Amino acid sequence: MTDVLRRLTDLDRLIHEPARLLILTILASVASADFLFLQRETGLTKGNLSAHLSKLEEAGYVKIEKTFKGKLPLTVCRLTSAGQKALTQYRQQLQEFINETR
Amino acid sequence: MEENLSNVEQRLKRYWYTDGIAELIGGGMFVLLGLYFALQEFLGQNSMLGGILQASLALLMIGGAIVSRKLVNALKTRLTYPRTGYVEYQVDERNMRWRGILAAIVAVSVSVLTIIFVRQFQSFDSLVAITGIIVGLILIVLRAKSAGLTRFYVLGLVSLVLGLVLSISGLPNGYSLGLFYGMMGVCFLISGGLTLRRYLIDNPLPAGPRDD
Repeated sequence: MTDVLRRLTDLDRLIHEPARLLILTILASVASADFLFLQRETGLTKGNLSAHLSKLEEAGYVKIEKTFKGKLPLTVCRLTSAGQKALTQYRQQLQEFINETR
Repeated sequence: MEENLSNVEQRLKRYWYTDGIAELIGGGMFVLLGLYFALQEFLGQNSMLGGILQASLALLMIGGAIVSRKLVNALKTRLTYPRTGYVEYQVDERNMRWRGILAAIVAVSVSVLTIIFVRQFQSFDSLVAITGIIVGLILIVLRAKSAGLTRFYVLGLVSLVLGLVLSISGLPNGYSLGLFYGMMGVCFLISGGLTLRRYLIDNPLPAGPRDD
């Protein structure tokens, strides 16, 4: 049990935060999504979402690009391979913890 | 966790149909397909124009799919993305190539089968029933069930019933198939139109510039 709990402390805290976990989960299901879509899906304010995305971008988990779709300006976010790897590892760690403490 | 993740995935899948645009364009294509079969029946099997129409079915289906995709994207860029945001779905390039080849094979097969049915049996009856079942199952399994959209259950059911009813209606040849596609197209247009109307009411354009 102690070992299991110790492993829980190894969880990536950047991902463990609920809002960031939700952002990464959404981005893991699509190729990319823009800021407005993420804001509506997460229910976060612009400032909050922006702050979380900045942290994820700093960690190299998310790539943010300013682009255009026709004449529409978009801030498009996509999960990087490092982000995908970190999210998969996080899910595995959490799943192991749940399995072992069931 | 797994269940929640699949819920998120289903919601993201549903987003493609949230505005009804795909149904509207699909409905338009179905109506055109209905007109195609009715026109083919009207012109007769042995006329030159009828022959050209028969031979060009695969080309029309592939062309229609490409034009539909472009139209849906153009309308979404104008109506949906400024209101509720942009999503690009994951596409496996290798899968896409195979899906393209598969779509071409299906289109050619449908064309050949249609020609064989018309020439050999001079009747579309069983073809309408089969078409109704295939379209109905696609709508129920691939749309309603996988994306969790109730209105596609209704459309799938309409397709099944319409296919069966038209197969026993005794209508001449291509008119029953034309009527099937035409009526399904109208159902899609109504469903898509109502969905788009609701979407535009619920999601007005955000005021001010996008300062994200």
